Amino acid sequence: MLKACVLALGGVFLAQSGLAQDAPGDPEAGRKLAGQCRTCHGIDGFAKIPIAPHIGGENPAYITHQLTAFREGTRVHEMMSVVAKTLDDTAIANLAAWYSSQTPVAALSARQSPENAPEGCVACHGVDGIAQIEDAPNLAGETTMYIDTQLKAFRTGKRSHDIMTGIAAEMTNAEIRAVAEWYAAIDFKVIPAQ
Amino acid sequence: MKHLLSSIAALALMAGLGHAQGANVPDNLEKLSNFQSTGVTDFTFIEQSGAYADGIKKTLEGITLPAGFKIGLYAVVPDARHMAVGPQGVVTFVGTRKDKVWSVTDRNKDRVADEVKDFAPSLRFSIPNGPCFSKDGFLYIAEQNRVLLFPAAEFFYESPDVAAFNLVAQGDLIPAEQESFNHTARVCDIGPDGKIYISLGQPFNVAPKENLDLNTKWGIGGIIRMNTDGTGREVYTYGVRNSVGQDFHPETGDLWWTDNQVDGMGDDIPPGELNHQTEAGQHFGHPWYGGGSVRTHEYAGEEVPVDVVMPAVETVAHAADLGMTFYTGKMFPAKYKNAIFSAQHGSWNRTDPVGARVMVTHIAEDGTATMEPFAEGWIDENGEYLGRPVDVAQLRDGSLLVSDDLAGAIYRIWYEGN
Repeated sequence: MLKACVLALGGVFLAQSGLAQDAPGDPEAGRKLAGQCRTCHGIDGFAKIPIAPHIGGENPAYITHQLTAFREGTRVHEMMSVVAKTLDDTAIANLAAWYSSQTPVAALSARQSPENAPEGCVACHGVDGIAQIEDAPNLAGETTMYIDTQLKAFRTGKRSHDIMTGIAAEMTNAEIRAVAEWYAAIDFKVIPAQ
Repeated sequence: MKHLLSSIAALALMAGLGHAQGANVPDNLEKLSNFQSTGVTDFTFIEQSGAYADGIKKTLEGITLPAGFKIGLYAVVPDARHMAVGPQGVVTFVGTRKDKVWSVTDRNKDRVADEVKDFAPSLRFSIPNGPCFSKDGFLYIAEQNRVLLFPAAEFFYESPDVAAFNLVAQGDLIPAEQESFNHTARVCDIGPDGKIYISLGQPFNVAPKENLDLNTKWGIGGIIRMNTDGTGREVYTYGVRNSVGQDFHPETGDLWWTDNQVDGMGDDIPPGELNHQTEAGQHFGHPWYGGGSVRTHEYAGEEVPVDVVMPAVETVAHAADLGMTFYTGKMFPAKYKNAIFSAQHGSWNRTDPVGARVMVTHIAEDGTATMEPFAEGWIDENGEYLGRPVDVAQLRDGSLLVSDDLAGAIYRIWYEGN
């Protein structure tokens, strides 16, 4: 699994060059738009309900990609597909700017030791669940069931990604659960932007 | 106790049959099913006093109720969802949409819980939202894609190792490829017929056409029932979008249940629903109807191929009516006898939030039902949620428990107007 991730990384760095052209959003305008996000994701991106991921301090490229995918229908979720339909490119850029302007803080919990981190994931998602590359989400402190659900979605093809589809395809339910529990156990908070 | 142990033994034999499959190394469920120790000894305990509890108490000062009623903090319970009060009044089990089930104990009987700890910590739960009890003390927990049963849970829960068995084994509740996280907060109840009734939300905003045959077959977007030995599964209710609350009328035995309706059609449509089911196999309209008599865009103009039962009460659009219970206690004034207490979780993307309150529904002689607010004040002046009620349950003394998964708490409502 580790090998799959490392091999795939080359592709990511190439793909990222295309993202640099995305116009930077306006975080202040994004904060106003985030009124419709806060019941689930929190105004600073610290999630309020288990089914929603923490998005405070996420890379703006990742947020932009996901919102665009929900809007285009290439990623489907019964709530997010409804919301994203109403967002144009500027709104998405502004939301990405607002949530990425928050500061994510992650620390292994007392019962975790770094050598037990899931080796196939750390190159992109970090030992502590803070993303190492642009197009990966932070996983620190997400609920076990959120990560479990996403990995299974990659495995069944409900969600697709150049790297994750291949990685998830080789994972058993038990391996998925173990990875999810690792990242869910990490202490995570968001320091709100001023 | 002797009777209890012999029924457990019978159950163990029965459950053992369906259980032999699997790897050479037994997992913890298999060990518990064979009354073996898992070696797990640690509970997670939740602090019940301090600044966090004080913050919740402060919120409760702003909650309004009819004259004579009071509300107080009963327990701090992270992610608290649906509740099952033990038939002996020893313990209340509380589900979550994460991976824990909490046991809540009021040891000194001052009607405030003294101890909150995780239940069966050796087991890996997946969205164990729905606990329910049979009258004879069997606890059932409906998860994403499994239903476990725990004989004599009120007795065994004090130990990390409990007796645990599959009622519906992992992967047998729905086809694995239909699993989702959203719309997977299952609830269960034991009906007057002794069968277990389990809600199965369908995972989409509006169920897509290509899923309808599969949904009908499995009871996805429905309520299923089965015998408490796992046999005789059948679909009891069709045409549900995502029901997260149900109870049986104490006198008629009819099943009443709430349903959450379609998003993205506007702030004020379609209405939410409280439904009254009078016989097996009735259809309640989804996906042709998005809530009440409002037709969905996806199926607009199509002939509805089934007879549809319309809701008993159309509720405020997007308020998210969830858990409910019929009131059978003696504490409250007589007009609340057999009334429904239910929770509105609150809207998630409506321009101005609505809900986040406890409702009461009175059912008249002719069967007409009228719903009105009972406890409210969890939305502040800035439109921010201070709490989001999920479920209502009744304690043996006739007071009510209300769970809240945003505050991570259980409240108690009692009457002292006499």
